[in-house]
Amino acid sequence: MNLCSHVFSRSRSRGHLALPVLLVLFAVILGLGLGTSSARATGASAKAARKTARAVESLGPPVKAYGSKDAPITMEVFTDYECPSCRNLYENTLRPMISDYVASGKVYLIHHDFPLPMHKYGFEAARWANAAARVGEFSAVEGALYDNQDSWGADGNIEKYVSAAMSASEFKRVQKQMEGCTAPPGAAGPAGHGCPLDSYIEADRAIGMRVPVQATPTYIISYKGQHLPPASGFVSWPILKQFFDSLLSQ
Amino acid sequence: MNTLNAVLTWIAENGYWFFLAGVVAVLCVREPRKRRNLLRVLLAVGGIIVGSIFLAAAYGKLKPLPGFPWSWRSTRISISMFAIQVESYQILSPAASNWVAHVLPFFEVFLGLWLVSGLGRRFSALLATVVFIGFMIAISYAYHKGLKIDCGCGIGPPVEAGPAALLRDGLRFLLPSILLTIGAFWVCRTPAGASAAAPAPATSASLS
Repeated sequence: MNLCSHVFSRSRSRGHLALPVLLVLFAVILGLGLGTSSARATGASAKAARKTARAVESLGPPVKAYGSKDAPITMEVFTDYECPSCRNLYENTLRPMISDYVASGKVYLIHHDFPLPMHKYGFEAARWANAAARVGEFSAVEGALYDNQDSWGADGNIEKYVSAAMSASEFKRVQKQMEGCTAPPGAAGPAGHGCPLDSYIEADRAIGMRVPVQATPTYIISYKGQHLPPASGFVSWPILKQFFDSLLSQ
Repeated sequence: MNTLNAVLTWIAENGYWFFLAGVVAVLCVREPRKRRNLLRVLLAVGGIIVGSIFLAAAYGKLKPLPGFPWSWRSTRISISMFAIQVESYQILSPAASNWVAHVLPFFEVFLGLWLVSGLGRRFSALLATVVFIGFMIAISYAYHKGLKIDCGCGIGPPVEAGPAALLRDGLRFLLPSILLTIGAFWVCRTPAGASAAAPAPATSASLS
């Protein structure tokens, strides 16, 4: 009691200071609370912004390239997913190149779609590849398309192999990109709009026409921005590697 | 270097006209000795024309790619690029394509200089004919296989391996080479005296 009274008595003696101190403390606590909540709000808004950015990114142009843009060598390849020579090039040359020279930053590989009219499902396959590229699954789908070219080339069931190349949730995202792409190439979709992915394929084809691409596969190699003459047909990895090595030793 | 290439390419692309005109001229001459002498001149010119084809082709394969200066390294790049073209025919394995790409341009330089020199012309002309026939078989194979590739001939602008390349190589390169071979063998087998005594029919038959 004494103690309490003593304290009380002391506090009473400094009663004129207690109220402002409490007010300041309250303000500080309030301020901290508000600060934390505002920081939380900032974090949430950043998260939302990232989400939006990802959504925007998924709606942006498809990324169909491998490696670093800063690589000294750039190789642009014009292919048709249903063309056997293109499969040969991918399986025997580009795949080892991606795991070797692209991975080590020596080569930047760009894929361009150039579906040929003679191939029944080539354009459809390019649509799936572009849809996958928009959600960051291009490499998986490109590999799956070439690995199973004979199968989907016979029955046109491309979806089966695209879905097998990724998780169910990723495939749903790819399917979403494919909405409105049921009509054949060049035709208007069910809602009167064409497939939005077709514009990317046509853009690639326009680039190819300027080269000009006469057959698939055709590839253009650039070294430090210097474009070399285009070449077409199959080239094995040892021969291409030798060419890259000679360029890199320049 | 560019001027030399331009001259060689011009001779390689247009020389066959002069050579064919020379053949007609030889056939029109009735006097055996004059015909023989004219034929000798024609063979010397033909050797230069066919030799220029090989030298121009070798230059086209060894010259630096656009944007690269003349150097041993840029020549290596060009040879590596030529290896890609050889392999695109899908006739040889990668190792064999690489070997051909490294040997063929220098062999063409050797054969071109041999033809121009006029030494043992019948053998150099025969070898040139065999080489041209080999090229034409390769182009025919690529065309038959449906390959749409650059013929990699090295002379003039790139030509797709197909009928156009066959026609060009057949008319401009193979025909002068065959005529040169026939003429060189005929001159060698027919002594000057025999030619004067028993002239023309063989010449006309062999050259036409």
